[in-house]
Amino acid sequence: MKKSRSDQIFDIINILFMLVIIIIMLYPLCFVVIASFSEPYDVAKGNVTLLPSGFTLDAYKNVFKEPQIWIGYRNTIFYTILGTAWNLITLIPAAYVMSKKKLSGRTFLSWFFFITMYFGGGMVPTYLLMMKMNLINNPLVIIIPGCVSAYNVFVFRTFFRNIPEELGESAKIDGANEFTILFRIILPTSKALLATFGLFAIVGMWNNWFGPMIYFKNPNLYPVQNILREYLYVIDTANLQQRAGSGVGNFNPTFIQQISPKGVRMAIVVVTMFPIMCIYPFFQKYFTKGMLVGSVKG
Amino acid sequence: MITYAPHFISTVVISSMIILFLNRDHGIINNVIAILGGERIDFMTSPGCFSTIYVWSGVWQGVGWGTIIYLASLASVSPELIEAARIDGASRFQIVCHINFPSILPTVITMLILNTGNVLSVGFEKVFLLQNNLNLSASRVISTYVYEIGIQGGQFSYSSAIGLFNNVINIFFIIIMNQISKKVTQISLW
Repeated sequence: MKKSRSDQIFDIINILFMLVIIIIMLYPLCFVVIASFSEPYDVAKGNVTLLPSGFTLDAYKNVFKEPQIWIGYRNTIFYTILGTAWNLITLIPAAYVMSKKKLSGRTFLSWFFFITMYFGGGMVPTYLLMMKMNLINNPLVIIIPGCVSAYNVFVFRTFFRNIPEELGESAKIDGANEFTILFRIILPTSKALLATFGLFAIVGMWNNWFGPMIYFKNPNLYPVQNILREYLYVIDTANLQQRAGSGVGNFNPTFIQQISPKGVRMAIVVVTMFPIMCIYPFFQKYFTKGMLVGSVKG
Repeated sequence: MITYAPHFISTVVISSMIILFLNRDHGIINNVIAILGGERIDFMTSPGCFSTIYVWSGVWQGVGWGTIIYLASLASVSPELIEAARIDGASRFQIVCHINFPSILPTVITMLILNTGNVLSVGFEKVFLLQNNLNLSASRVISTYVYEIGIQGGQFSYSSAIGLFNNVINIFFIIIMNQISKKVTQISLW
């Protein structure tokens, strides 16, 4: 089919626009990776544009020599796995129960969840509550509270409602109880949604740094994001004492002095974001479907 | 897939990248300015630049992810409408304006209403990471102020009151936006 003139022009403008957007999106990420492989002096001078100049692995060697990074990684993986598991374990039964039409307090429960979506205590009351429950400095404080999002409960509930009731009823006739229905019928049909929200939970837990910052006083509990923050912010400001009040742990001062080179900073940034960048392409095919269920059906 | 890569990067990494790129002596932006003959600007310490930096880095991070929802809605535009429009001789651009855009309008309005709830509580994390002593006049927002006086300063009652007030105003905004959108476009959350 021969395209008309205006269609051709539209196509060309479209393609140019897309190329510009791709470059804008990708270049900062690429630059950080490239700079982490280059000589620090070249990075500072500005010689690095498209390819690493003076290819060196020194930055990464320095980063991996430091035990704090390994401790941070261990903590982050621990929090991510436990947090995601807890998130899904509490989310799915809640949504399943709320999707049943015969549940007596259904409206009340819905409002109960809905109000927490918009109305919360805020930062300080939450902190005081954790203090009263003796959860400060305890790794569980970022896993257990606040891991269920009311919005996710609603999305799952809507999806479960749209699964035909007859499936559950026919399973009951065959002698299944509610747990069997949940695990054998409902969960396999909701794979797209599980994958999407599982990924959200993983990314959320991996990138979570504020909770650890205010609740943990012991630097051995810090996830890798907080360690990144320490290294890039604590030494970046001229007045170290000023920042010392905002959540800095007792840190190894000699390492702080060693890591001024630009390459090492870039290397730490790459090390922090690398695992997530590797995981997310595999979940890509579930996103569109998962989003559609949540947003259009409301 | 490339456009929503920045969404998965954490706030700490984003603000570290911003600070590294906008550094006056070594940052890449200033290097480009210097090569083109201009004078190096210190972006991070000037209060005037703060809102620009904050907003556009938020756009860079969020635009790819936000398009997924609209992509899902666009996929539900019926092909018969588009066929009919083509037969009537509409160009690509006209089809976008008159068919696609009105079809996703409900989704756009819903997202707008939900996001006005967040107008006052400008996320805490990125502002906190991008602020330093010199741009404090532009970067001190309600959430970081609550953190400053609440957790660091110890005035628990005052900061809790501020947080509560914040929430009330957000809900108020959502209700108002909902009413406006109901009157204007008959699309609303409830």
